[in-house]
Amino acid sequence: MAEVRNKCLTIKEFEAVRQGVLNQWPTGKGLALQEAFSYQKKIPKQKRFAERIEEAMVKGEVLTQPRAGVALIDQQILLLKHLEAEGGADLLSATIDSYTRQNRYHEAQKGIEESINAGRSMLNGLPVVNYGVASCRRLTEALNRPLQVRHGTPDARLLAEISLAAGFTAFEGGGISYNIPYAKNVPLEATIYYWQYVDRLAGLYEENGLSVNREPFGPLTGTLVPPCLSNAVAIIEALLAAEQGVKSITVGYGQGGNLIQDVAALRSLKQLVLEYMERYNYKVKITTVFHQWMGGFPPDEAKAFGVIAWGAVAAAFANATKVIVKTPHEAFGIPTKEANADGLKATRQVLNMLQGQRITELQALEEETTIITAETKSLLDGVERLGEGDWALGTVRAFAAGVLDLPFAPSKLNRGKVMPIRDQEGAVRFLKHGNLPFTQEIIDFHRTKVSERAKAEKRPVSLQMVIDDIYAIGKGMLVGKPS
Amino acid sequence: MKGSTLVLGVIGMDVHAVGNKILEYAFNHAGFNVINLGVMVSQEEFISAAVETAAEAIIVSSLYGHGQLDCRGLRSKCIEAGIGNILLYVGGNLVVGKTSFPEVERTFKNMGFDRVYPPGASPEQAIIDLRNDLWLREEDIHGRSKEQMPNH
Repeated sequence: MAEVRNKCLTIKEFEAVRQGVLNQWPTGKGLALQEAFSYQKKIPKQKRFAERIEEAMVKGEVLTQPRAGVALIDQQILLLKHLEAEGGADLLSATIDSYTRQNRYHEAQKGIEESINAGRSMLNGLPVVNYGVASCRRLTEALNRPLQVRHGTPDARLLAEISLAAGFTAFEGGGISYNIPYAKNVPLEATIYYWQYVDRLAGLYEENGLSVNREPFGPLTGTLVPPCLSNAVAIIEALLAAEQGVKSITVGYGQGGNLIQDVAALRSLKQLVLEYMERYNYKVKITTVFHQWMGGFPPDEAKAFGVIAWGAVAAAFANATKVIVKTPHEAFGIPTKEANADGLKATRQVLNMLQGQRITELQALEEETTIITAETKSLLDGVERLGEGDWALGTVRAFAAGVLDLPFAPSKLNRGKVMPIRDQEGAVRFLKHGNLPFTQEIIDFHRTKVSERAKAEKRPVSLQMVIDDIYAIGKGMLVGKPS
Repeated sequence: MKGSTLVLGVIGMDVHAVGNKILEYAFNHAGFNVINLGVMVSQEEFISAAVETAAEAIIVSSLYGHGQLDCRGLRSKCIEAGIGNILLYVGGNLVVGKTSFPEVERTFKNMGFDRVYPPGASPEQAIIDLRNDLWLREEDIHGRSKEQMPNH
């Protein structure tokens, strides 16, 4: 495979592969961009994702957004109408099923048919590609709020073509965040290139006066991800998207559980991404997303609401532009529409109560922000060095060298030498930092934090401690302390 | 039974990697020989790994809700491959949405699974069950009585 470069695709390069992309499944055939642009021009402003989220940033609102996807499109319409009306969701999602995410459209088709026969959804999301543009327009037209595609698709080119033509105005994902946590063995050169295509497509819409919001997937593996790692990936993906002409980017972070660290992480992310955008003179509107806890949930619904509410608190104090909301059914998988609305309502209650409240001038917060920023810069400097100034090339080489290394990722391209652990106060630290290019000062900081916990628990640091941390929230605690 | 070979993996298009890594650690720690195929494993890959390694059990995880579609026919494929008697365990979020577990268990047992685990089941429970099930099989071979079954 040819090496990728962080360079805006020319229209010739884009057109050269486009027919091949559209021919991957019959619903893509003949899709005309000019017709898609004319259709998108008719979408009212209040239903455009970028406009709504950028308005929220200016006004200081925190918007709520659920995840939501079922196999049958009429059921999807009912689901989203319920989340709009009963859940009060400010922004809406169509979550894509896992067969579509791996481009297995035959299996997705079977899933649709089995769902019709069984009278319930047998897929974990909406197979947008199989439905095609006309059916999906029926969905986007039935709703009153902006609608985003949320998924986990290494090659989402056809999905992006169909969903944007169908009137979706936001598209989640990126060449790193939808590869390393979502694939077993797909080269990064390939996914970065696939996502350059998606970003260029979004750029073409922008050039036709149609905003398309893009969102790198912040939480990555969703399991004890140290903030500097997810922030570094978000910043790289924002840079790659901006190069292709994307103008509206929402960078994200998944809740860790320690309030100070969570607030510091999102602050640091926002500051740094703006710094890097300015450095390259990209004119992009940056907003932020906070994901409520992405790891294991308590099966007890009342306890799950506790976790959800704590995520709402952190989102409010982190001053996120939007929060992705969990549901009381999280421990069991896909929620009912009622449970989904309940998560939204619980979150909205907390957000409203915290409106206008701020944490300022707190020394611990300043310190945590400083350390996350220093760590993130170390990682980004490492990537930049390896790429000889090119972020795409640098990313490929950084994963190979373990200069970027995500905990608990399924991909074989990931070195897997990094092991996170919670400290005494539940902040996520490094037990092993592998080959991450940290200064001795940073390494010592983590070592001290981890040994403080071991001392307090009177047990040696071990993998068991990490496993206890992974299960802790599901069992009712933040830190996996011995019972 | 100590040192018995297990084939472990997450079936279908599922990429949930965390529990898989923890199960590998726990089964290894308990003394089993673990062949971990990781995430996104097809039925064929499970079976060929089990045949190649003369495994005594296949442990299937599914966290994303497509378990019923992905697991159908696994037992009959095992029979075709000449390993019809292999232990088949399955666990995770096996169906889409919150469903009563006895119903899920019945569905998967009818599909030929020996043991079915609900969301959040601990690796320890599977280890105890494996020891018992494998011990019972040894007993079948050696003609020992069930009263001698070890306590755990």
